[in-house]
Amino acid sequence: MKKVFVLVLILAFGLLIIGCPPRKIVQPEPPAPVVTPEVKEKVVEVKPEEKITEPKVAKVETKEVETPKYIEERGVFEDIHFDFDKYDIQPDAKPALQTTASWLLKNTSAKILIEGHCDERGTNEYNLALGDRRAKATRDYLTALGVTSGRTEIISYGEERPLCKEQTEDCWAKNRRAHFVVLRESGK
Amino acid sequence: MIEKLKAQSSKLKVSIFILLLFTVHCSLFTVVEAKVYIDINSPAFKKLPIAIQEFLGSHGKEISDIIRDDLEFTGLFAHIDRDAYIENPSQPFNPRNWIPIGAEAVVKGSIKDDKDFTVTVSLYDVLDGKEILKKEYKTERELIRPLSHSIANDIYNALAGETGIFRSRIAFVAEDKEGKGIYIMDWDGNRITKMGLKGNLVLSPRWSRDGTKLIYSAERNRQWGIYLLDFINMTERKVFSSKGTNMVGDFLPGGDDFIFSSSKDGTPNLYIMNLKNNKTIRLTSSYGIEVSPAVSTDGKYIAFVSDRGGSPQVYVMRRDGSDVRRITFEGSYNTSPSWSPKGDRIVFAGRRGTNQIFTVKPDGTGLTQLTTHGNNEDPSFSPDGRYITFSSDRDGVKGIYIMRVNGESQKRITPKNLRAFGPRWSPN
Repeated sequence: MKKVFVLVLILAFGLLIIGCPPRKIVQPEPPAPVVTPEVKEKVVEVKPEEKITEPKVAKVETKEVETPKYIEERGVFEDIHFDFDKYDIQPDAKPALQTTASWLLKNTSAKILIEGHCDERGTNEYNLALGDRRAKATRDYLTALGVTSGRTEIISYGEERPLCKEQTEDCWAKNRRAHFVVLRESGK
Repeated sequence: MIEKLKAQSSKLKVSIFILLLFTVHCSLFTVVEAKVYIDINSPAFKKLPIAIQEFLGSHGKEISDIIRDDLEFTGLFAHIDRDAYIENPSQPFNPRNWIPIGAEAVVKGSIKDDKDFTVTVSLYDVLDGKEILKKEYKTERELIRPLSHSIANDIYNALAGETGIFRSRIAFVAEDKEGKGIYIMDWDGNRITKMGLKGNLVLSPRWSRDGTKLIYSAERNRQWGIYLLDFINMTERKVFSSKGTNMVGDFLPGGDDFIFSSSKDGTPNLYIMNLKNNKTIRLTSSYGIEVSPAVSTDGKYIAFVSDRGGSPQVYVMRRDGSDVRRITFEGSYNTSPSWSPKGDRIVFAGRRGTNQIFTVKPDGTGLTQLTTHGNNEDPSFSPDGRYITFSSDRDGVKGIYIMRVNGESQKRITPKNLRAFGPRWSPN
């Protein structure tokens, strides 16, 4: 009896290890098509038909129209440049900022737009935030030099408007910039 | 002697019990096996050999090919070449025609193209020799692609037990002569539709959880505004604008609130705005940059990018702005986080010489790099969490790509003559 027990035990564990016996034995078949249907059981009934539809996507036109309020004048002032992923004003940018500030203090009717730009190496959204910080750091510097903040506008273009399109350190350095645009009201 | 007998009889009982257990073990496995053909969550699954016959009738090959391409991209099926088939499409299914070529599942279909476009599809289990799905689909002829994707979804569901993503779409930004605009296409890159929305600069659109709205940022008239596109009314409206840089962001569950980054109060910080009462709540107050917030599926956590530690890194916090934890530690430039639907992983772009796609667990462990060539950005998950879409310039011109979540099968889905970026997979 003890022997039987041991045997059963060995057999059971053996089977457990080997696993379940294969359920299907694949037998080679001649490759001529068998035309008689051999569906053993029809468990599936035809499901109610599905109607495939799709909401029609119409074009939506942007309602806002670009209305230029100002005449833009570019190239009056030198760009100032920044280090990679940085937004603090570099010492070598100070002369250019001083020139810009004194011009603004003399030409009191003019406004200035400060554009913050980045090189292409970062990712779009982060670069837009970085460009925003660069434009603001530039404005803060001009404010410190006496230009009231009402005379300056800022915008970030991130990496979207590169000055130079090659993939070189020289080119990237040129693109990491704050760019100045003199704004004169149209009609004046 | 009596005691010995008792002992023996109890041993016999144990033996019988063990044998019984074994039998139960086998029958249990048989039951499971009969229902799930591919265990897609098992790391050692075997690709299911499937045969998809050319459907009978007009557009038959086109429909069968779309179903085949859908199923093959999952990496879960091995499609058997049609040249190997013994059975003709017009002959009734017989398992003995499929066993020799190794097929375990067979799809057959026929098309009736008169007033309606009707497709009848059958899915067969070769080993059990039975039909496991039979369904009729009706549509208009111009919706053959969505129809084929619906069939693929049903086959996928019958064999893998999960919901397919073959009817999902990808929203993205592309550039042509008129500027940048929002586009929508099928997940496989077909049926690219220009929405007509444009701006000088347009950023990656984000879907509402129910797939009926898109929210995106655009620069118009020197202002960064946030715009809402409603697919039900087909309207666009500006929902936020101010001085400074305003960028979405993400919807919160429910669709009434969205999170965005704005520099309206000075530096770029994160805010939640309610679309009904237009109230905004500020979540962060750092002097640096806080940008690219992404909300987890349950709405409890927000992943975002901050340079508070000296370089841009991915952080996670609670929805109310508390409990901020940094989750990326390798590399000095990690941005653009997006959650997996289950909330178990975050995908992001990290700079390693060039930008590459990584995934990481929300606790900062399990960092995995998925791409290696070119600059790869703007990643987001498919609704089932099995695939990732992203933009890449690896082929010269920036375009939209998809891959499996383990980095396999990376392929470009937008044409080379379209500069495209900022893809977002629809939630359904």
